[in-house]
Amino acid sequence: MSEVLDPFSARFMQYALAEVLLLAVAGALLGAQIVLRRLSFFAHGAGTATFPGLVVAGPAGVPPQLSALAVSGAFAVALERLGRAARTTQDAATALLLVAALAIGIILASDVLVSGSSVDQLLFGSLLGIGTDELALSAGAVVLVALVTAAFDRAWVARGFDPEGASALGVPVAVADLALLLAVAVAVVASIDAVGALLVGAVLVIPAATARPLAGSVGSLRLHTLWIGGVEGAAGLWVAYQLDLPPGPVIAVLGGAMFTVVTVVAWARHGVPA
Amino acid sequence: MTARALVTVNTLDAAYGDGPAVLRGVSFSAFGGRIVGVLGPNGGGKTTLFRALLGELPIRRGDLRVHGTTAYVPQTERSRLDFPVSALDVALMGAYADLPWHRRMGAIQRRAAADALARVGLEEVARTPYGALSGGQRQRVLIARALVQNAEVLLLDEPLTGVDRPGAERIESVLRDLRSEGRALLVATHDVGQARSFDEVLCLNEEQVAFGAPEPTLTGDTLARTYGGELVLLEDGGRAAVVQSHAHS
Repeated sequence: MSEVLDPFSARFMQYALAEVLLLAVAGALLGAQIVLRRLSFFAHGAGTATFPGLVVAGPAGVPPQLSALAVSGAFAVALERLGRAARTTQDAATALLLVAALAIGIILASDVLVSGSSVDQLLFGSLLGIGTDELALSAGAVVLVALVTAAFDRAWVARGFDPEGASALGVPVAVADLALLLAVAVAVVASIDAVGALLVGAVLVIPAATARPLAGSVGSLRLHTLWIGGVEGAAGLWVAYQLDLPPGPVIAVLGGAMFTVVTVVAWARHGVPA
Repeated sequence: MTARALVTVNTLDAAYGDGPAVLRGVSFSAFGGRIVGVLGPNGGGKTTLFRALLGELPIRRGDLRVHGTTAYVPQTERSRLDFPVSALDVALMGAYADLPWHRRMGAIQRRAAADALARVGLEEVARTPYGALSGGQRQRVLIARALVQNAEVLLLDEPLTGVDRPGAERIESVLRDLRSEGRALLVATHDVGQARSFDEVLCLNEEQVAFGAPEPTLTGDTLARTYGGELVLLEDGGRAAVVQSHAHS
């Protein structure tokens, strides 16, 4: 057993483990709403949108997290406004912004950054390079997300269940919607150091999507998402260490595999949903 | 509750955002202990009226007054059947606004939700997933949610659409019970026959066509002006049927 856990004796692996566990908490708090409210594409888009911000942050002398938060927050606000106009517009705008952000980021990176590996880090993360600053950022993000979740969870549930009738229940629908998108943007920024701009879905979407067939309530969905996210993060980290692979993509692949297994088992037990 | 006007609307024009008024010239009162059937074609303004009464739309002209808490009971097809909530969870939503954000739903709220489900005859399925219930049961769960809100005014959006006959009879029984408690009910419906059983009818077709007791109000001419091309036939005894599409406004 001690040999199995031996990789985690190294300080950088302990930091990385702490990071994935923190992100599992953020994923549990928000992932349930992301999946139930069908915001998975938005979460992916918010992550990708940070890419050009991250590229220009270094040369501009701006902290990358601040730059990413600004871009991701602006993305969330823009999408919320568009979403109130028409849902199809929100979907189309997400795709448009996602492609534009990726393309602009690559163009900027080709001039601004000389190392291709730096672009890889921005896109896919550098979990093994996590330090105390990144951990502090993630811990702060988790606390913030927990507070926002506590404040708006009832409104999120009412809105998710009954989009048209929620406001008649006396819950602050518009504020809650914006708070959810901004909370996702914060979680996205916290995730980028670990899994990069392209793989935030691996911690914010896939664990909750995997947990969905297992859960009969929003609370149980969060609990299942928590352990699934934690196991995927820790296992992905261990596998990446053993095989000398980048941890972010390994976590994403493990997440995809687990999602497939759980979904197939659920279909086998309960039938394919109509 | 006493028989007083819980909803008073005078020469109301309502619009969406900055757009033109989509409902004009509405004037009526809904008293406690009465059911008002709201008739009209799809796009005729039934849902617009409800949203105006809920304070969600700008009032372009006229005024409206609603006394007491107003609850909206949507069509069940507008709620998410795949959302992981039980019947009790849905009823409990009626208490969401009762507590500040930092306090969890407690025994008092859960008891109120359970009692509301019992009142609509659903205590046996309180723990059943909402999506696993029949259409009629889901509609009653949503009515229970309105009861938890302790609403004096209930706005029901086509509560019998897609509900089988036994389920419809059960819902109609619940509506009569609510009326007997002194609540004011506004029931949007396409069923002219059902509307004849209500206390008043309000006919809308982008504007108010008529308002009054069913028998003198639901004449062939009124129905023709209300439904236009969607009205298809009048049978013996003045009964009418309506061809409807599924768009809403």
